[in-house]
Amino acid sequence: MKLTGEEKEMLGGKEGPVVAEAIDYLVQFGEAFGAEKLIDIVYCHYPAEMGIYEGMVEEAVGYSNTGVRVKVPTTSSTLCSDLEKPEITDIPKPLAELQAKIEPAHRRMGILETYTCTPQLLGFIPPFGSYNALVESSAIIYYNSVLGARTNRGGMFTRFSAVTGKYPLMGYLLDENRKGTHLFKVKLPTEMLENYDVWCALGFHIGNIVGSDVPVIDVPIKHVKQEWLLGLGATLATAGSVTLFHIPGVTPEARTIEEAFHGDVPKDYYEVTEKEINVIYKKLTTIENGAEIDFVNLGCPHYNLEQIRYVADKLDGKRVADGVRCWICTNRMTRKQAEYSGFVEKIERAGAKVIADTCPVESHMRISTCKDFGLKTPNVDAMVCNSGKMLRYVGDLIGCKTALTNIDKCIESAITGRFEL
Amino acid sequence: MKNFNVRKIVRGNVSGEAVVLPGSFSFLGDVDMNTSEIISADSPEKGNFIKDKILIYKDTKGSSGGMVVLMTMAKKGIAPKAIATVKPVDYNLAEGAILTKVPFVCEPDGDILNEIKTGDFVYFNSDEGIISVD
Repeated sequence: MKLTGEEKEMLGGKEGPVVAEAIDYLVQFGEAFGAEKLIDIVYCHYPAEMGIYEGMVEEAVGYSNTGVRVKVPTTSSTLCSDLEKPEITDIPKPLAELQAKIEPAHRRMGILETYTCTPQLLGFIPPFGSYNALVESSAIIYYNSVLGARTNRGGMFTRFSAVTGKYPLMGYLLDENRKGTHLFKVKLPTEMLENYDVWCALGFHIGNIVGSDVPVIDVPIKHVKQEWLLGLGATLATAGSVTLFHIPGVTPEARTIEEAFHGDVPKDYYEVTEKEINVIYKKLTTIENGAEIDFVNLGCPHYNLEQIRYVADKLDGKRVADGVRCWICTNRMTRKQAEYSGFVEKIERAGAKVIADTCPVESHMRISTCKDFGLKTPNVDAMVCNSGKMLRYVGDLIGCKTALTNIDKCIESAITGRFEL
Repeated sequence: MKNFNVRKIVRGNVSGEAVVLPGSFSFLGDVDMNTSEIISADSPEKGNFIKDKILIYKDTKGSSGGMVVLMTMAKKGIAPKAIATVKPVDYNLAEGAILTKVPFVCEPDGDILNEIKTGDFVYFNSDEGIISVD
């Protein structure tokens, strides 16, 4: 790999051994994939250094103690605890205390304590075509597809990019890897597409088919909302490992179907009808019609202020059924604004909770963590949710029954304590 | 003995028993990171353990937390001995394999998902870029 003078100096230790190690890993990584050079990135979303993974917080604190600092604007991903209000999730106290140690460590490094899966909702919107290094599969696919800001599916190496400002030029950073592979013609009634959960089911179905390829999704409407693209992307990256999708006439690298395929012919063509979507609902719904439920989750990926306002208005004057936990998950900045706007009060008066920094699947409620702390398993028996991503993971990781439905039915389930189809 | 040429990602020369999954695999959600047991309800190998096995599957899917699960398993000494995928490598999992030094290859020149079966003894040489089975 061809390195610049500055990069050679980093590698030689001019900025200390931690930066030298970081750039060494990036060079090795790039060489394994045939990258010709490193490029300068403009933004990083830093790995979730969670207390539920053994030794991870201690290691992260150790890393920050080296005095190394990030070189580009760097936000941080979700944790296993709501750091401002740890008691709100009933997390075991030792785990909350362990997780809280991450915050001063991140501050020392210059990492912003956003602790969210949706940093784009906080205004971290790098320019079209820019190079970035992100973790969090739902954010990665959104930055690539909706913003046209380029990133691969990052993991711990995002740390090395943050402290060097570099990443190997490869994968989805290159034009030739951004062209569509499969064409999907969505033939759903337009009123169905008004529902967030339908976009989740759509993403799940397409992700199952394309795996790691680049789907081009032709939809019969032009008024595609931001939250629908979030739901679609999150499930494409759950059922598959999709890093980039195009919606002709909607996303920026695909003004037309032809442009989405860079002039090439699609590998495959599929039509998506209600039949395929219903299969996904059936797969993600194991709770029987009319059965009791004990958890309703909204906010996967983390909600924005408008989504919280909607829930607050729906819950205003109502009461969540006894024995049901109802979580609305978001980032801490949005919660502050929701407190100011009176939304949190309405939600709490109804017996629901606005949770920041975390979500059910990242929390202590996983079977493995419950066992570590001697808690009852499964921690949840039956979860109703409007997110395909959340339900796919909690089924196996928390061990609960699940139901995918629209937001109004989720709220209704919270109030009645039952799931009705 | 059948040989397959593969693309080398993380070097190493190991051998052991194979666990072969015909479909995609997510380290987040499909495996118990405390025991290495495959827990995905959909998996034909549900109940099998990937500790010290040569893990072979079609494609990596799911959350970018997947590589963190691999790192956690490696810390506990219950990671797979090596990993091979049919599809081109997932960058996220490649990071995990580099950091944990789990030998990792992809893109074999033959049908490894059918010609290697769970329980087969596999020679996994990613120094040379060859996987072999008796």
